[in-house]
Amino acid sequence: MTETIAETQTETVPKGRYSGKVDIGLKTPKYLVELAQVSKHFGSNHVLKGVSLRVKPGEVCSIIGPSGAGKSTLLRCINLLETPDSGNMVVAGQYVDLGKPQDRRALLSLRRNVGMVFQSFNLFPHLTVMDNIALPQRRVLKRTEAEAKEHGMELLERVGLADKADSYPAKISGGQQQRVAIARALALEPKAMLFDEPTSALDPELAQEVLTVMKEVASSGMTMLVVTHEMNFARNVGDHLVVMEDGAIIEEGDPEQIMSDPAQERTRQFLAAVINH
Amino acid sequence: MNTFEFWGDNFPQMLAGMGVSLQLTLGALVMGIPLGLLLALGVSSKLRLLRWVCLALVEVGRGAPALVVLYVVYYGLPVLKLSPEAMTCAYIGLTYTTCAYTSEYIRGGLKSVSPGSIEAAHALAMPGLDVLRFIIIPQGLRVAIPSLMGFAIQIFQATSLTYSITVREVTAVSYSVASQTFRALEIFTLAGIMYAIITIPASWLTNKVEQRLTLRH
Repeated sequence: MTETIAETQTETVPKGRYSGKVDIGLKTPKYLVELAQVSKHFGSNHVLKGVSLRVKPGEVCSIIGPSGAGKSTLLRCINLLETPDSGNMVVAGQYVDLGKPQDRRALLSLRRNVGMVFQSFNLFPHLTVMDNIALPQRRVLKRTEAEAKEHGMELLERVGLADKADSYPAKISGGQQQRVAIARALALEPKAMLFDEPTSALDPELAQEVLTVMKEVASSGMTMLVVTHEMNFARNVGDHLVVMEDGAIIEEGDPEQIMSDPAQERTRQFLAAVINH
Repeated sequence: MNTFEFWGDNFPQMLAGMGVSLQLTLGALVMGIPLGLLLALGVSSKLRLLRWVCLALVEVGRGAPALVVLYVVYYGLPVLKLSPEAMTCAYIGLTYTTCAYTSEYIRGGLKSVSPGSIEAAHALAMPGLDVLRFIIIPQGLRVAIPSLMGFAIQIFQATSLTYSITVREVTAVSYSVASQTFRALEIFTLAGIMYAIITIPASWLTNKVEQRLTLRH
């Protein structure tokens, strides 16, 4: 089964596609996130069919594709919120053999390097905005309360929400909650950020304020993997575009190039559907 | 001596009895709720043996009437060559009943915590114990507060059962007054009023708290 997939994949892979071997010998890795042959089943459903992907430091990689393509699952495998069945990866210099059960310390150190922003924001509802940002810093980075709050305030200013520090999440808008969630993830000074459809639960207007913050984060040099339906973001902010369908990458490369002249018919159909909706 | 004079004469000892009832309630809650939390975590544990032991403790504690639990403690401990005072037995029995019941309320609260916030905590590299301590338990307990307050009222009423193991709480005081004066109706009416003076405002408070907690989220 795996062999067949590997074969078909090499055949259909466009030129220059990554073959799927993690390079662990390099002292200064060329890639900040490197996935090789990541495979995942949910029951009998093969959701990731040996996906390989490389993201350079500072790169913004957008992942698009129809729902059920495995985009979110792929993202969630990178910080091991999902446990893949097989494959391996290097994330911020840390090698992970995905076929094995993960050691607790390795898991925490991996997650420390990778921030994540969720579609449904997932703020801690019982804590104020400031405490949402301060608590992980105190517990994970062992910062003092004062340090955590000072740093938290800087980040809230950065996302334009300094005046909401003492509000509870339920009292602020979805767009504001998502900006807090971004600040909370940034507070741990991650090497890469994963965005799982960060604007899908928001009205266009609120989505825009989140996209503005994401753009600012991208321009600060953060390595970002963004699962999104925002084609403008993918095109204008993204450096690399990945198109997924049915648990595999069907096409990847320069966003401008793919959007104006996709190599795959399926990509063309998908783009036509999302752009004209 | 009319009823009010009769009540007035006996009020000091009734009040002392009520003090004992409140003391027992407080003790049962202060010891029982933390134990209830531990049982709730135990019942949710992945370790099968721990889960079964905790589940058995909870089910027996909820299944057996509080009075039976009190008798088992009161007549059981001497068999083990221990001779605790009646008050100690009352604390033990009521605490056990409290922890068995509250563990279920707390477990319900813990289960209601949104998986999203738990997942976010994991994604933020918070260790499992931290996730439990800072994310799951505070949110879960908050949800459980109204039912815990409701239970506190029930266990306060249940302290009257300790009369049967010779604790001098307000029901026991009423009983001895009744047997000396043969004015049972009047003295038990006073006892009822005294219980109600505490339970009725406590129920209001429970409703208020419930409303406030729903508003907040």
